Amino acid sequence: MTSLINASNSAGVIITSDTSGNLAIQSGGNTVATITATGANAGIQVASWAAPAFSYYQNGSTTSLPNVSFTKITFDASDFDTTGGMFTSSRFTPTIAGYYQISGAILTSATSGQYFSDIYKNGTAFKRGSMVVGGTSGCQSNVSALVYCNGSSDYIELYAYQNSGSTQTTATGTSFTYLQGVFVRSA
Amino acid sequence: MYEKLIKIYPELANFNFASGVIIIQNDSDGRGDYIAKWEHPTLPEPTAEQLAATGA
Repeated sequence: MTSLINASNSAGVIITSDTSGNLAIQSGGNTVATITATGANAGIQVASWAAPAFSYYQNGSTTSLPNVSFTKITFDASDFDTTGGMFTSSRFTPTIAGYYQISGAILTSATSGQYFSDIYKNGTAFKRGSMVVGGTSGCQSNVSALVYCNGSSDYIELYAYQNSGSTQTTATGTSFTYLQGVFVRSA
Repeated sequence: MYEKLIKIYPELANFNFASGVIIIQNDSDGRGDYIAKWEHPTLPEPTAEQLAATGA
């Protein structure tokens, strides 16, 4: 049993009450959130959450990584993007202030040198990922960070560094070189 | 950029550029490598003229 507040498509707001202590918020008869006071599910459960999320990767275009240069990784394909245009030119500029979970990876087929990926915030390194060494099967560096963005000017990018002594190239593929992010909570 | 720096300062050949003291950066925007940060304790940042004169 649950008390209901339903924003009906035909009858306006409909309130149905009981004595359960639980509350459901509905839109057009569909539950979008429930509030439960006790039990294992106590708290607020959101049925649908229109939070920005994206996953971009390199499909046909690679990024050249000059020796000892921190180089921005560019992306030409996405698995999904619900940000409504916040991700452009391989840069994520969220328009909702809050905390974002960002993760990325770069993969190369290099056989020598050290490699790592960095999450950049506003053009400078924010968090560094794993440092890996080129080998017979190449190498992949992963990075993950929780980043606060102000919802206006803050932006996120993925950079990579290598010191093999010559220019290297990232590998294409949705599981190889990618950048993902999702809104976690408001400020 | 790395080759230019080594021509000007050969002692940087063994420098750890991952340390963040000197940052060479490339924003993949067609402008190429540039010096984003230079905080070396003894060597001054090369001028544009010095970099151009290396021919590298």
